[in-house]
Amino acid sequence: MNDFIKVSPLKILYKSSYKGLGRGNLGVLMARAGVGKTACLIHIALDKLFHKEKLVHVSLEDVPEKVTSYYNVIFSDLVKALDMEDEYENRLLLDRNRMILAYLNQSFEVRRLRENLKNLIEKIEFIPDSLIVDGLDFEEADREIFEGFKEIAAEFQVEVWFSALSHRHITDVNERGIPYPCSHLDDLLSVIIQLQPTQEGVFLTLLKDHDSEVTPDASVRLDPNTFLATT
Amino acid sequence: MFDKIQNLRNIGISAHIDSGKTTLTERILYYTKKIFAVHEVKGKDGVGATMDSMELEKERGITISSAATYCIWKGHNINIIDTPGHVDFTIEVERSLRVLDGSILVLCAVGGVQSQSITVDRQMNRYRVPRIAFINKCDRSGADPKKVLEQLRQRLNHNAVLMQIPIGLEGDFIGVVDLVAMKAVYFEGPYGEDIKVGEVPSHLIDEASARREELLDVVSMFSDELTEAILEGEVSEELIHEAVRRGTLQRELTPVFVGSAYKNIGVQPVLDAVNRYLPSPMDVENIALDMNNDEKEVILSSDPDDLLVALAFKPEVTPYGQLTYLRIYQGSIKKGDDIINTRNRKKVKVGRLVRMHADEMEEISGTGAGDIVALFGVDCFSGDTFTNSQLSYTMTSMFVPEPVISLSISPKDNKSDTNMAKAINRFVREDPTFRSHVDQESGETIISGMGELHLDIYVERMRREFNAEVDTGMPQVAYREAVSRRAEFDYTHKKQTGGAGQYGRVAGYMEPSEDGVYEFINEIKRGLIPTEYLPSVDKGFQSCLQKGQLIGFPVLGMKVTVNDGKAHSVDSSEMAFTHTAIGAFKQAYKKSKPIILEPIMKVSIECPSEFQGNVMSSVNQRRGMIISAAEDGVFTTVDAEVPLSEMFGYATTLRSLTQGKAEFTMEFSKYSKVPESVAEELKKRLLERSKGG
Ligand SMILES: Nc1nc2c(ncn2[C@@H]2O[C@H](COP(=O)(O)OP(=O)(O)O)[C@@H](O)[C@H]2O)c(=O)[nH]1
Repeated sequence: MNDFIKVSPLKILYKSSYKGLGRGNLGVLMARAGVGKTACLIHIALDKLFHKEKLVHVSLEDVPEKVTSYYNVIFSDLVKALDMEDEYENRLLLDRNRMILAYLNQSFEVRRLRENLKNLIEKIEFIPDSLIVDGLDFEEADREIFEGFKEIAAEFQVEVWFSALSHRHITDVNERGIPYPCSHLDDLLSVIIQLQPTQEGVFLTLLKDHDSEVTPDASVRLDPNTFLATT
Repeated sequence: MFDKIQNLRNIGISAHIDSGKTTLTERILYYTKKIFAVHEVKGKDGVGATMDSMELEKERGITISSAATYCIWKGHNINIIDTPGHVDFTIEVERSLRVLDGSILVLCAVGGVQSQSITVDRQMNRYRVPRIAFINKCDRSGADPKKVLEQLRQRLNHNAVLMQIPIGLEGDFIGVVDLVAMKAVYFEGPYGEDIKVGEVPSHLIDEASARREELLDVVSMFSDELTEAILEGEVSEELIHEAVRRGTLQRELTPVFVGSAYKNIGVQPVLDAVNRYLPSPMDVENIALDMNNDEKEVILSSDPDDLLVALAFKPEVTPYGQLTYLRIYQGSIKKGDDIINTRNRKKVKVGRLVRMHADEMEEISGTGAGDIVALFGVDCFSGDTFTNSQLSYTMTSMFVPEPVISLSISPKDNKSDTNMAKAINRFVREDPTFRSHVDQESGETIISGMGELHLDIYVERMRREFNAEVDTGMPQVAYREAVSRRAEFDYTHKKQTGGAGQYGRVAGYMEPSEDGVYEFINEIKRGLIPTEYLPSVDKGFQSCLQKGQLIGFPVLGMKVTVNDGKAHSVDSSEMAFTHTAIGAFKQAYKKSKPIILEPIMKVSIECPSEFQGNVMSSVNQRRGMIISAAEDGVFTTVDAEVPLSEMFGYATTLRSLTQGKAEFTMEFSKYSKVPESVAEELKKRLLERSKGG
């Protein structure tokens, strides 16, 4: 799966100071509606899975069946794009090392998540390396929720990736250049990347890189259909 | 004959057990004047609801066999196909879904969308069945139709929209507000047969208006006229109905009704909705395969004047002979017609044609495309297609899963012996997932099916309906063997025992096949093995697949390539080459590192969230792989894949783990390799068993 890294949208992180997010940290992928946030987030997840990490996908909106079918679609795109040979083994990695926790009907609570993660570790020895959180409403969610996630990241030594919805008409940025809706949270977030469609294609741009200055060329162009990085 | 195909409906009622499907059906039959008294399920009068025709079902309070019942509501002819609510009988559900055009999904206002509803809904998706939903039991304490609406959206992913709101709830539930007409509807008289329409109660006006807004908002997606009318402020009821119908037919919308079948509230509007929103046979595209044209797909016409194509879906043995339900897709059928069974090209004469009402039969002379009838005296299997002599179509084959579990049975006495044979003969016809064979070594009769409960029910039916007392063995998982790598063979079969000898030589290799299907590849050059012997070689290999040499279970598909060989002008024969192939198979099989495969079930467990950890560890202890856990307030649904062999007795374990508050369903998913650590133990056990008896 060496090839994957060449086309993974995560390539953007190799342009960051620590070559990644790192355990105990929170990272965000921002995009407007319909740009492909979830697809991109799942690419981040697959990258982890193919590195034999264990991953918990936390869905605050979609039922597990839908989440699995997203993974399947993206996985089969990858199989095609990469001419994948060890498809069967990778499929197994995906099934065995991914756990979906869904919280439907606004039933999400950090307390429940902590409880569920403990269950995974204690009851079935599923020890996660990363968390992917899809569908959290950054505009509505209290700061406490993010503080809760930060604690979870530290307590379970996982890295946590969120997707956040931004809006075309809200262009506010804070003094450090971080746009709404992450502008009031950026002290809790270690990495922020933005997914943006432009005339020239879809771009992933690094907006925040731990404590370092972001280099101006820190962006990667993606194929608008597969969300794989173009070289 | 019915008047117009547009006014015909073939519908199912599907539900989680105990949601009130039987009660709702009973009421429907009452209002459509097909039965003349209302009985309760498991009622005091011991009569039981009409649809549960089998004694056993009545006692267990569940509906196992599907029956088609005919009724008329406001000028529409409705065939109700009763779909079983129990998931161990998936084939029954699948089979009835095949002949439905639409369905009423019944949900309990208290229990909501439970794991069985999810399984049933998944099956309806598979057959692309449009549906309307009825939230029943709004009179029970704890009823929360809005929660159920949300679950429909979230758990089943339906674009669900309320067509009504309840007036009162629980003990105070007295009627519904119709959001299309913006009227209150009450159901009076001893059985709710007198419908009284009134103004929306003042305390509900705000809520009703808001819900109506929501309704218009959602359904205007399906109609530009309606969108326009909304802008102009001139919305007619007709426009709304039209838009709801469109959305429903496209399966992009689920209109939701509320009521209480038991308290006779809200049933008639559901019937109106069946007429208004569910498809007529004309609205559904049906496909058959043309056997004379390479199984090419053909679209059937739903024209009664066209050539006949009909599907048999429910053979039943009655005191008057075999009764077969037929769904007519194209053309017409009448008494005295000659029809042909596509499977065996046998010609049959149509004798008595009847329409089944819940408690009586009506003899009819014929009917046409779209309708469902039953006919007597035709010998056939479930799933057979009938046509007239000009066509050779078969309806796309139904998905029939392989049995995953088997049980040995033996009669307790002579009388039971004959009766058991009769019973098996009948069950095999009714249910393609129920199989039976005699084990050649032990001489025992083995029955197999889709789960423990599936077989239990049949064993009990043997006792009750056929007076066959039988002893049963331990349930046995249907393992499979498969080759795991390529192995060569080069085998010579030579016998010279006076008279004509036997000679043959076959060489080549066997290897795993990707899709699990057996394939025979001939790469013989220069006629080294004469072509006429090749089918015998193929046959020899296939005969070895019945019983593998590893644990004695069937061998799942493999690819066999034959590329060399030799024949003798005198001593070679078909039989000689069959024997050669058998020898070659044995030679290569051991070298191919055969593995054991076991059936893996997709298991879905629903429990109060506080038990989530315990439930997960119980799955984990059973070699299960947990896929997801979904919380929804107080409940969690855990989905997992678990080997069937580990699921015996799980119901009991789960009950004690969760104080009886959890339930689970399972469905066959796939065959997977048994892990090495388990395989050794299993081999030992199976070998001992076969030595022991
Ligand atoms: N309170 C209440 N009970 C109902 C209602 N409908 C059915 N029941 C009861 O629920 C139980 C199960 O109903 P049944 O029709 O057999 O459900 P099925 O298993 O889905 O066919 C029976 O005891 C019925 O009397 C309802 O609307 N309200």
